[in-house]
Amino acid sequence: MRTLLRLIQKYSNLLLFLFLEAIAIVLIVRGSYYQQSRFIQMNRQVTGFLYDRVDGVREYLTLRKVNQRLVEENSRLKNRLELFSGQLDTTRVLRVEKGAYRYYYLPARIVHNSVYKQYNYITIDKGKKDGVFRDMGVVSEQGLVGIVLESSNHFATVIPAINRDFRLSAKILSSNFAGILYWDGDSPLYARLSEIPFHAELTVGDTIVTSGYSAIFPDGIGVGTIDAFSLERGNFYDIRVKLFTEFQSLFHVNVIRNYLREEQLQLEENTR
Amino acid sequence: MGIIARNIFRFIVLVLLQVLVLDNVMINGYMVPYVYLLFLLLMPFETPRWLQLVAGFLLGLSVDLFENTPGMHTAATVLVAFLRPHLLNLFAPRDGYEPETFPRVRYYGFYWFLKYTLAVVMIHHFALFYLEVFQLKDFFSTLLRVFLSSILSAATIVLSQFFVFRE
Repeated sequence: MRTLLRLIQKYSNLLLFLFLEAIAIVLIVRGSYYQQSRFIQMNRQVTGFLYDRVDGVREYLTLRKVNQRLVEENSRLKNRLELFSGQLDTTRVLRVEKGAYRYYYLPARIVHNSVYKQYNYITIDKGKKDGVFRDMGVVSEQGLVGIVLESSNHFATVIPAINRDFRLSAKILSSNFAGILYWDGDSPLYARLSEIPFHAELTVGDTIVTSGYSAIFPDGIGVGTIDAFSLERGNFYDIRVKLFTEFQSLFHVNVIRNYLREEQLQLEENTR
Repeated sequence: MGIIARNIFRFIVLVLLQVLVLDNVMINGYMVPYVYLLFLLLMPFETPRWLQLVAGFLLGLSVDLFENTPGMHTAATVLVAFLRPHLLNLFAPRDGYEPETFPRVRYYGFYWFLKYTLAVVMIHHFALFYLEVFQLKDFFSTLLRVFLSSILSAATIVLSQFFVFRE
């Protein structure tokens, strides 16, 4: 008996070690039942309280990812909307290989952006592999951004509305008079709209939208509002447009794919 | 602060730091720095062995509770707590550890601490990661994870000695 006690005393640490490890092993082996046990329920309450506190911080840190998801959801919703607006248009039903919609929105993130140059360019993280090609429209949740210039496999460059080479047909929402939207290289907040005939009635604050003539953008994407206008050489207005899109703080955009663009251009080519 | 109070305080701070902050730091998707081992590393030399084992058990268990892992950290930390005195003997300077000192960079130098930390962390991670996969199928990819994570954990622990946990 005494030898046994002495033995236990001698190896007490080893025994304790084995005992504690045994508990741990039992925990591991029973792991699958672990989730259901009462123990974990109690544990949840304590850790849950702590995690609640920390979650606020985590939420803030993941804002970027959340944002990204929201943009994607937005695109999905816009696609659905496009689908339904096709159905509502009872005069014709569009059937395209990619589905029953004409425009497809693809979310993209801006990886490079310049604002303070004369010839500003934007680079986005979607390219040919994602179906982004030359002459596709780019919009933000605020409104018009630009047109895709070139695309590589994974990236594409965009000419924004604030590039001196930019030209797009745009119209005044209330009167449907269409003109040419361009940029004078002055301020990234304003663009110009020319070739609106002098008999059009204008008011400061009128909304300018895309005309849809160019087969790049759908009809009615917001561009900006009239900030000031003057008659230029008697026949046409020269209008200063306050742009909706804030190019300085742009991060997420949508690329618009027009499935019927080829057809429209083909027809126009043949008619000419 | 008494030495016991200081250790208890360190225990709580390290566990909270681990589960609330560091567990959210995932490098490359699977490397987490396990800094909570610092508690075991810094326990005084004279701590009775049974207390080391119990402390290791509680430490692992607390981390397990927060991470919702069943017993893996417990098993690994108990193992490390059991082996720590042997490791300390192995790395002991020629004339042993002096009384009134602690296993810290300040007393025994950078290289000593690095060796000691690496050994403890490696053993811990080895046990932890293999218990986690619970099979030998992905033996080498797990081994790679053990090494990479060990380096990360050891580096974080050693660096913390110079900035945060100096006292």
